[in-house]
Amino acid sequence: MKRSRLLGLAYLSPYLIGLMVFTMIPFAASFYLSFTDYNLMSSPRWTGLENYIELFFHDRTFRRSLSVTLLYVFLTVPLKLGFALFIAYILNYKLRFINLFRTAFYVPSILGGSIAIAVLWRYIFAYEGLVNMLLAYIGIEPINWFGDPTNALFTLTLLRMWQFGSAMVIFLAALQSIDKSLYEAAAIDGASKAHSFIFITIPLITPVIFFNLIMQMVQAFQEFNGPYIITQGGPLKSTYLLPLYIYDEAFKRFDMGYASAIAWVLFVIIMALTLVAFWSSKKWVFYAGDKRS
Amino acid sequence: MKTLMNALCTTALITGAALPAGAENLRMSWWGGETRHVATQAALTACGEKYGHQIAPEFTGFSGYLEKLTTQMAGSTEADIVQVNWPWLPLFSRDGTGFYDLQELDGVDLSSFAQTDLDSVTVAGHVQGIPMSTSGRVFFFNTTTLEAAGITPPTTWEEFFAAAKTLREKMGDDYQLFNAVAESAQLLVSLAVTQKTGKDLVDPETNRVAWSVEELAAGLEFYQRMVDSGAIASRKDEAAQGNVLLYEKQDWSQGRIAGSYEWDTTYFKFSDPLEDGQVLDSVPMIKFADAVTDGVYRKPSMLLSVSKNSDHPQAAAEILNCLVNEPEGIDALGITRGIPASSTALERLEAEDKIEPELMKAHQILMDADGPAVSPFNEHPELRGDFIDIMEEFSYGMIDAQDAAEAIIDSANNVLRSYD
Repeated sequence: MKRSRLLGLAYLSPYLIGLMVFTMIPFAASFYLSFTDYNLMSSPRWTGLENYIELFFHDRTFRRSLSVTLLYVFLTVPLKLGFALFIAYILNYKLRFINLFRTAFYVPSILGGSIAIAVLWRYIFAYEGLVNMLLAYIGIEPINWFGDPTNALFTLTLLRMWQFGSAMVIFLAALQSIDKSLYEAAAIDGASKAHSFIFITIPLITPVIFFNLIMQMVQAFQEFNGPYIITQGGPLKSTYLLPLYIYDEAFKRFDMGYASAIAWVLFVIIMALTLVAFWSSKKWVFYAGDKRS
Repeated sequence: MKTLMNALCTTALITGAALPAGAENLRMSWWGGETRHVATQAALTACGEKYGHQIAPEFTGFSGYLEKLTTQMAGSTEADIVQVNWPWLPLFSRDGTGFYDLQELDGVDLSSFAQTDLDSVTVAGHVQGIPMSTSGRVFFFNTTTLEAAGITPPTTWEEFFAAAKTLREKMGDDYQLFNAVAESAQLLVSLAVTQKTGKDLVDPETNRVAWSVEELAAGLEFYQRMVDSGAIASRKDEAAQGNVLLYEKQDWSQGRIAGSYEWDTTYFKFSDPLEDGQVLDSVPMIKFADAVTDGVYRKPSMLLSVSKNSDHPQAAAEILNCLVNEPEGIDALGITRGIPASSTALERLEAEDKIEPELMKAHQILMDADGPAVSPFNEHPELRGDFIDIMEEFSYGMIDAQDAAEAIIDSANNVLRSYD
């Protein structure tokens, strides 16, 4: 027994060591560094709450970056979840070549976060790019997607939406697990497709909606590649998401202490919103065997 | 345990036996492109064989190199010989102790370098590295496009604006005379102010911004005139293209953008993408009629330094000297780090006809022009980042030239103050 326990620990040790070295220690270190002035070249100097005071009371860029990030998350997450559910609903029908369609719709998520796709996006939405060419074809004036502060964030939101595949696959699995007899009973009672969707489908997949909501929200808060490659945070910081700001502070300005403070604020925001989601889930997420009715 | 000790002792013996007495294992790190990587490795092999040292290469592209070097220096794990961008000197060696003082190491022949070049890499009396070359911004024009419009390359800014107008009239509105985005736009503003005032951005005496608000505001208005006259695209129109690099743009390769203000060493980066028949030429500095100086932005491009944490600084110095002053290193490196600052290397490469005439012309224009000494703080990441950000707000009409100039000077002085 003792030997098998040791063996188990030995198997686990690569993961545990990796977790400690690459996650837990940097996690704790960044918390400490957030209270210091640290530029990598000299030892950290304890400054107490100075970084946080600067962040919340004096830093215009932080306020701008935070509002842009929140707007991005609140735009992206519902749109992406809605779109993923819509496509999953369609792909749940027994159509010809359905497996081909499922694969085709999933492909963007494999490619979506890559640098190459971000570069492609840049060309598609350039002033003389594909989208404006299509708009011109139907008589619409070209739009300045990247140069106009109001459009630039929307363009990045579309890039994120385009990577709906992983959420879609999870929705599809949930849709397929719903007992068909429920729809048949509803149809006999005269329920329309829309009614069935709202009163049967949605309640039964709320655990999956909840899971996707948390995952997509966390990922959206961490978005980096798109704005870094396509807009570099511009114009006028309209796409300057917090991860970009953290990167710039840490690796362009070498202010590791300040970057750590921003990272911790981001962490607290994500944690708070996740807790709110968990708290609210008691009211809208229904699990199998749930006594509520 | 006994087996382990035996293995360690054997490994140590084998490793020791592989190198002759006095031979050392060294590391050298640099950034660059493929050509530089290949040439530097060949040079290290040649110089290593000459002195009996083994040098492990560590190379990468420019992007990320600063982050890597900073992390290594923070952990005292940097290579024995490191390539350092000149503007980073204040970051790594505020007081002249960031790297070995090359005056204290035997074997590095500093006499082949001009005193002005050595001054630029000297901090508090300590020579912090070998200046590899001098580089700076020069004007490139697509003479094929200009000839088609019946224009000659401008020599004054008034000629420049007239040429921009003529080009659009004769060739169409999709033609623009010049390119200026982000860093290039900022350097054009700096050029205009320097030409008018004779001063660099940073006053070396006070370590504060040398320009007044009015002087900088005039520079920003000069930039706006370039936009308004159609000589360059507005910041908004540039952003609409998705921040594509100039030499990747079709408008550049087909000659619809007819000029730019670029590093002299990048001539081929901009001429290679041009379609067949298009010719790119470097031209002398464009000036105001009342300019007090050419205002050239000229600086050491990079330096090779010996790490202060090196266990074998003397061996590193031997390799360093070989790379810049001895035939083995000179022949292998060629001009992969620009036109060499070492007179020994320059004479040898010129004698062997190894410097392309286009590069030499651009370099000569740079060296012939005058201007105040350029402070490395011009390229301080925070200072430059804020300058460009505030210029963007000005370009989008969020603030006027006066407010932008005030904001730029305040921000720059804040950065400079942290180095007092």
